Amino acid sequence: MKKIIISTLLSIFAVFALVGCGEKETKQEKVAYKYTTVQVYEQACIKCHGKHGEGNPEKKTPALNDRTPAEMAQDLYDVKNGGTGFGGSGTDHEIMEHNMKKLIDKGYDYDIDSMAEFLSYLAKNQ
Amino acid sequence: MDNRNLKKDLEHIDSILKEKGISRRDAMKMLGLSTAGLAVGSTSLDATTTLNASDAKGEVLIVGGGLSGMSTAARLKSSASGINITVVEPEAASVSYQPGQTLVGAGLWDKKDIFYKRDDFVPDGVKVIKEKVMKFDPQKNTATTDKGTELKYDAMIVTAGVKLNYGAIVGLEAAGEAYSSGDNKALVGELNAKGVSSVYTADGAEATWKNMQAFIAKAKAGQKVSGVFTHPNTPIKCGGAPKKIMYLTNERLKEQGARENADLHFYPNGGGMFGIKDYHTAIVKQFEREKFNWSYKHNLVEIANGEAIFDNHGLVKGKFDPDLDEYEMIQTHKRVVKKFDFIHVTPPMKAPDEIGNSVIGSAKGWVPVNKETLQHAKFENVFSLGDIAAIPMGKTGGSVRKQYKVAVSNVVSYLEKGSIPKTNAKYDGYTVCPLITSIGTVMLAEFNWASKKPGSGQNAATAGFLDPTQERYIWWLLKFYLLKPMTVYGMLSGRA
Repeated sequence: MKKIIISTLLSIFAVFALVGCGEKETKQEKVAYKYTTVQVYEQACIKCHGKHGEGNPEKKTPALNDRTPAEMAQDLYDVKNGGTGFGGSGTDHEIMEHNMKKLIDKGYDYDIDSMAEFLSYLAKNQ
Repeated sequence: MDNRNLKKDLEHIDSILKEKGISRRDAMKMLGLSTAGLAVGSTSLDATTTLNASDAKGEVLIVGGGLSGMSTAARLKSSASGINITVVEPEAASVSYQPGQTLVGAGLWDKKDIFYKRDDFVPDGVKVIKEKVMKFDPQKNTATTDKGTELKYDAMIVTAGVKLNYGAIVGLEAAGEAYSSGDNKALVGELNAKGVSSVYTADGAEATWKNMQAFIAKAKAGQKVSGVFTHPNTPIKCGGAPKKIMYLTNERLKEQGARENADLHFYPNGGGMFGIKDYHTAIVKQFEREKFNWSYKHNLVEIANGEAIFDNHGLVKGKFDPDLDEYEMIQTHKRVVKKFDFIHVTPPMKAPDEIGNSVIGSAKGWVPVNKETLQHAKFENVFSLGDIAAIPMGKTGGSVRKQYKVAVSNVVSYLEKGSIPKTNAKYDGYTVCPLITSIGTVMLAEFNWASKKPGSGQNAATAGFLDPTQERYIWWLLKFYLLKPMTVYGMLSGRA
């Protein structure tokens, strides 16, 4: 009896598989950015966050050179998307989320992983 | 492994389908149109094509034996039989089926329908230590438990889940912190004393149904009542649950002909319903149709005397900032008080302190990993997945179903070669939220990071030709009857 049940369950999975064939690939959008990551940093970020991403206490802008690229990518995701959850939780950076939208409207959009790598390069080459 | 429930589940599916005049085969075909169905198909294919026995050897320590940890253990064991696997998990009910808690909260399932014992899902050859890891020394590749057992590893996988932090809300301090599974009767006692319901624990889900019935009875008796539903300011597991329980309360009120006496009000901390534009728009339309009220940017901070107190935050324009070439924004806070007869609280969530505050944690607690490889940001032989990992949009069983396969193949590669080849499959942010909008309809919100490009509103995760924003009966069948056996028997065995 057990065998029958297991084979039934496997056949269910098999039907899923057959129907699924040919539709498997999910399209990754490729976005063409107006500026390179370095240009974005030098034109849009540097005045507030500093030459080496060290931040500016007077302007209350945080340092960006104190995290690993993986951690930075998570924080940039939060700021760009208004949170790291499904949306209902919101962001930890309400002010920067607002500013980022303004910057993106001006063409300063960028790839999160590339920016995170660049910030870690800045940190290492002070 | 114990498959006693499997027969029951399958018979149940068949009897329901028969009642609706659909053959199981047709149902499967319909389900196959979605990528949630697709995922099962593609992964069962993966299981036969990529689970080649590896010669990898070594000690793998898995911290936490919930859905992520046990699925990872099972798949790792079948991928490389030479690996010694130890899972550290103190809770006997750690693999209980949490997505069913909303259904328990609305009286549609019973608590015993979601109860599963971890020990029924331990793969042969995997060792389980019923203790809790309290200390980490990744430089020495060791971890130490609450009972002082020192465990040495070649690779460690952290899958310890989230803690529900009810105690962070003023007035609920005595409720403290909890995990979803296990005995939470004391917690529920504290919440009940304040008139608070919450489906985020199994015991709490049961209590929610009782409280909801009392609420509906009041409305039916002609009293004008207020139902309040909250969504906190931290990432949460199952981001749809705060809304699902509201939809189901709505439905239960309608059944009793008492809907017009109830005000149902949703208070999320965020500024929208959903991160993906298409789903946000669809949900707003559903809320309008069901005459729900909602207030964005309200974070529940206190419960006192039948009132919920929110921090209503926002921004106002300050001086012009020439560096930014924009007006600077100043953060504002306003205290908002709302009386309730029924409140569903989604608690703030965090990584357990012993991990979040350790060297493998982070400022916000979550274990920092490369979001595509799931390898730790600082320690190359540490990996993390599931609710505790710092991964955008994660924290669902649906995302774990994709993550654990990536983690296993990377851990095996690491043990074999000392590095992770670029050709290994990467996690793409896939997640799924079967959003219950009534008893009998579900909007199957599937998405991944590529769905999130600002402004595009496009959805890269749905490959089928069914409009994903539509509420459908077939997704209800998937949610109500199929996802549980798929999860319990597919994932926990490491196969799908």
